[in-house]
Amino acid sequence: MNTIGCNEFLDQLGDWMEGERSAEARSHLRSCTQCRLLVADLEAIEHAAPAIATGDPEPSPRVWLALREQLEKEGLIHEPRHGHSHGLADWVDGIFAMIPRPAFAAAYLAALVAVGVALSGPRTTRENDARWLDRTETSTQTLNAQLDTDEQDTFLTLKGVDPAVTASLHKDLAIVDNYIALCEKSVREDPQDETARDYLYGAYQQKADLLAQMSDRGDDGQ
Amino acid sequence: MRTHATQPASFHHWKKTGVLVPGLLLLSVATASAADRTTQHFRVDAHPVVAIHNPGGTVTVRAWTKSEVMVVAVRATNEVAVDATQTGNRVDILTRQVAEAAGPGELRTDLEISVPQDAELEIHNDAGGVNVSNVLGDMNVETIAAGVDLEDASGYLTVKTVDGSFQCVRCSGRIEVSSISGNFRFVDVHSPYVRAQTSSGNIVFNGEFLPNATYRLKNYSGVIEVRFSPGDSFNLTARSIKGQVHNEARLDPPSHHHFMHGLGNALFGSLNAGRASVELSSFDGTINILKRD
Repeated sequence: MNTIGCNEFLDQLGDWMEGERSAEARSHLRSCTQCRLLVADLEAIEHAAPAIATGDPEPSPRVWLALREQLEKEGLIHEPRHGHSHGLADWVDGIFAMIPRPAFAAAYLAALVAVGVALSGPRTTRENDARWLDRTETSTQTLNAQLDTDEQDTFLTLKGVDPAVTASLHKDLAIVDNYIALCEKSVREDPQDETARDYLYGAYQQKADLLAQMSDRGDDGQ
Repeated sequence: MRTHATQPASFHHWKKTGVLVPGLLLLSVATASAADRTTQHFRVDAHPVVAIHNPGGTVTVRAWTKSEVMVVAVRATNEVAVDATQTGNRVDILTRQVAEAAGPGELRTDLEISVPQDAELEIHNDAGGVNVSNVLGDMNVETIAAGVDLEDASGYLTVKTVDGSFQCVRCSGRIEVSSISGNFRFVDVHSPYVRAQTSSGNIVFNGEFLPNATYRLKNYSGVIEVRFSPGDSFNLTARSIKGQVHNEARLDPPSHHHFMHGLGNALFGSLNAGRASVELSSFDGTINILKRD
């Protein structure tokens, strides 16, 4: 059976996510861990999308534009080649249409997808390591900037919250920040360390989740 | 001392033409002995859903044999109100602030709730504590600083805390729990699936390893401790990127500590037939696989 490479598979990713799965794509996915992980992440997002909070205000359109831009920069979404009618961009748009777009969850989802993609990118040589590190740092800088802004905004909303709860949230935010720093250091030291990358991604997810919880508490005025 | 009856005296809503009509309070009784203690009853069918939102205070839920949900609320002050409403087979209990400015102590409300054994629970509690016993339905619990203690639960349990601890005693359903700094203890559990992740907390697992079951415990730092008996059967993967792995199990192939590129300190192997899957992972914490006392 003819097989395809990662780039060709990514061309078909939108179709794949919509259920159109060619034999070549199936074959590639069986043999490529990176693409398998990416598909698993996207499926997890697709699965979680409808459950993401309802009724919250929408984030600014820049969040969606930033995500598209980031995915395009990663080469993951672009005009389809080889006559494919659906790209990942269509799938992403479809998912976004499903999501009620709560401000925080959506913003983090966008930035996390970018970091997740960066952290799962293929790396086979030292040269790739360097490129991968650059790309990862670019993605994490974007996410960090997003998280920092939201962190400041969130703190402002916590004024009426039980001081014990606020203290708990602050303490745990510091814990997560510390893990992010430790994991980033570890990944920089050894980009091949998949477990460290996994932990780094997990730490970012935790921070995003925690900020979303803080925001909820602030909104509740509890 | 005043007596409060926070709900209308008596409502009775019945099914009409087979459709459950949103109902309200079945019966409300205020006891004479405590000014801020109210009791409410709601008649329910099989598998009711009970949702509790109580930001501060203790939430205690117990199963009983009646087809009824009983809510006993003890408020610290009347700066806070407890709204309990029934919609079909769902009972919502919401504690809310009624005064514009009130301190956290004034908003404290303790809830004691009795539910049918097959009830499904949704509990949100920021500070205080959550205690649930003998409830067999699914449970979703979210807290910030409140600890969560579950006993004899057999439904699908999902628990999320920020720094609240979690303890599960004799639980037998699927368990998924996550926290940032909360400690976890699994005591005498016999669950087919346990996934536990805490960042800086400790995890202690002392339970049964069921055939084909999966036990996935993960933290960033802290200690992961798993207790086993010589007759247990599991495949073990244990790795700590920066920390240590200590093992007392006689694994096949014979275990010895590895420091593997990208894996840190790692152990792999089977105990007996390797029927269950045990995956332990830490960033810089310590993993202990110890014989049961």
